[in-house]
Amino acid sequence: MAANFWTSSHHKQLLDQEEVDVVHPLDKERGITLDDFKLIKMHMATYIWRLAQFVKVRQRVVATAVAYMRRVYTRKSMTEYDPRLVAPTCLYLASKAEESTVQARLLVFYLKKLYADEKHRYEIKDILEMEMKILEALNYYLVVFHPYRALSQLLQDAGLNDISMTQLTWGLVNDTYKMDLILVHAPHLIALACLYIASVLREKDTTAWFEELRVDMNVVKNISMEILDFYENQRMITDDRIIAALSKLKP
Amino acid sequence: MLRSQPISWDSKMGDGNSGSNRTLSGNNNNSSNKPEWLQQYDLIGKIGEGTYGLVFLARIKSPTTNRGKSIAIKKFKQSKDGDGVSPTAIREIMLLREISHENVVKLVNVHINHADMSLYLAFDYAEHDLYEIIRHHRDKVNHSISQYTVKSLLWQLLNGLNYLHSNWIIHRDLKPSNILVMGEGEEQGVVKIADFGLARIYQAPLKPLSDNGVVVTIWYRAPELLLGAKHYTSAVDMWAVGCIFAELLTLKPLFQGAEVKAPPNPFQLDQLDKIFKVLGHPTPEKWPTLPNLPHWQQDLQHIQGHKYDNTGLNSVVHLSTKSPPYDLLSKMLEYDPRKRITAQQALEHEYFRIEPLPGRNALVGPSVEKVVNYPTRPVDTTTDFEGTTSLQPSQPVSSGNAVSGSMPGTHGGTMRSVPRQMAVGGMQRMQPQGMPAYNLTSQAGMGVGMNPSGIPMQRGVSAQTHQQQQQQLRRKDPAMGMAGYPPQQKSRRM
Repeated sequence: MAANFWTSSHHKQLLDQEEVDVVHPLDKERGITLDDFKLIKMHMATYIWRLAQFVKVRQRVVATAVAYMRRVYTRKSMTEYDPRLVAPTCLYLASKAEESTVQARLLVFYLKKLYADEKHRYEIKDILEMEMKILEALNYYLVVFHPYRALSQLLQDAGLNDISMTQLTWGLVNDTYKMDLILVHAPHLIALACLYIASVLREKDTTAWFEELRVDMNVVKNISMEILDFYENQRMITDDRIIAALSKLKP
Repeated sequence: MLRSQPISWDSKMGDGNSGSNRTLSGNNNNSSNKPEWLQQYDLIGKIGEGTYGLVFLARIKSPTTNRGKSIAIKKFKQSKDGDGVSPTAIREIMLLREISHENVVKLVNVHINHADMSLYLAFDYAEHDLYEIIRHHRDKVNHSISQYTVKSLLWQLLNGLNYLHSNWIIHRDLKPSNILVMGEGEEQGVVKIADFGLARIYQAPLKPLSDNGVVVTIWYRAPELLLGAKHYTSAVDMWAVGCIFAELLTLKPLFQGAEVKAPPNPFQLDQLDKIFKVLGHPTPEKWPTLPNLPHWQQDLQHIQGHKYDNTGLNSVVHLSTKSPPYDLLSKMLEYDPRKRITAQQALEHEYFRIEPLPGRNALVGPSVEKVVNYPTRPVDTTTDFEGTTSLQPSQPVSSGNAVSGSMPGTHGGTMRSVPRQMAVGGMQRMQPQGMPAYNLTSQAGMGVGMNPSGIPMQRGVSAQTHQQQQQQLRRKDPAMGMAGYPPQQKSRRM
């Protein structure tokens, strides 16, 4: 349902991590490894976010755009669907779906501003063509649920809705879009994992509160571990590695 | 690279390009030039035209499944401003792809033609709509719509609307031409709510609901909208249902205001005046938030310019003030949106529990004395999918019914600038006696399909719905935790 996660296409389409971590054969041919694959998606999530700052759309639009981008690459190759075009187009499509339409020409203007090099020379026509391909690749499923809504409700319920906790957990949720969590887990579980990490970091005792929830704490803790692992690994990511991965796509 | 490929998700649409070229119109002879997906259909002709694009009638020509099944294909024009797929189309696809209900139009396919960047939505075809049914009774048969038919149409409309509202969707543009009724076949007389181009998910709007332009055709527009409310609720749809109910009874639009066209979002004084004339002026006593509405503040002199003494809804609709239909109607036309009856409450109203009981086939039932043969939709067979006209003479396409009302081509009075669509496939049976399933709290659990009415939704376990989530997560008792919560629209209004 459009407003009920459990009956939504989003819920029905949740994947196992192993299904998400499949490099398309065409990309493999070009030497893209699983690490490269993840790295490029992470880079593109950041790219969408930076672009969104220019065109001034809300965080939910960014989150939806990133979810679209990640969904596309569970089905399509980066070789055929260049991430550097897919990413801005996902933002374009998400802005329509989330009722904050951004004009294509504005997007193209900032695209050129952000990346002056040849490989990012995309015109309005390219965006519009890719928009239709993305609609197709998404199988026309456009509703995406995000952890933000659940997060604010949960913070309030746990009595942790002070500014410090709110900012920390919100930032954690933003960072989860650098990973594939939104393709694998229900949004409220992602929110709970972020809340869990934040409460440990800020030394808030939430044990009793979590115990009262009717959720599988193992899942929440596993998501939390994934997030912490991500932060750990992220330190070792350099621009060179990202450039190297991207250059395999367009030598 | 990608080619244009048909996608087919739930109906067995077949592979399209095989089978005989059984065309009924003369312009399909160049089928080799058509995109592959289009070759699975025989184009019959154009049945509607609007600002968004065109609507065509087609038949499936797959030799194995659904052969001959009628499909309405809505083609969205490429936007002129160079901004790709129209946000209206995006919104309609987004919602229709998620929802499934017997009384909501069914989207069977989406096609993209990459060559000219056009987008096609394929729906199950519905032969009739309330606009045409009402018009036929008013202009052709000269007698009112039978009580059974009115009640069945209204019940099914409310049933579909209750489903939408339970899922936080406001339709925002309910009017007779958007309420479709299935023609001959297994689903004869089943109502399908159509045209979701203006529909909104109102659970968590990023912008005030009033932000994206005009909503609801003025005659069916709720008073809070006319008075400039910025945030509004599912109650706007219930007002429209009230207007439609009255129109089904009298065959005349209830509040026929003259629309002010400019500037954008103008104050529609005449429409309000038409309402006041029948219902009297609203008062802050009966509608406490009334003084907060922009136009009530700014245009009070105009609004109260006329004094209406002998107001009376009952005399307009010719119903006794004590009769159940009058009681239901007056609750739909309640000024204060917070007090206005909800779709769920309306389904439980006494009106639906007294004879004649509503049925699934609204057009034919035990208590219908004279079954009316409604005309089939006029089809302009001179166009192709590009909307270009060939030299073929227009001819009405009849499926056996009378075609008395059909106009030649698209330029007759029947071709309104509103989408004329389509309908559906589901096979759920409705329960004619006031939908007891909606009252049960014990079965709304995790599983789709546990609901006896066959409605695949759960109210109780939505992780995304406000308080419900907390309540749900908090339950330790599994039996309690599985219980459904009825939708709480009333408490969330405004």
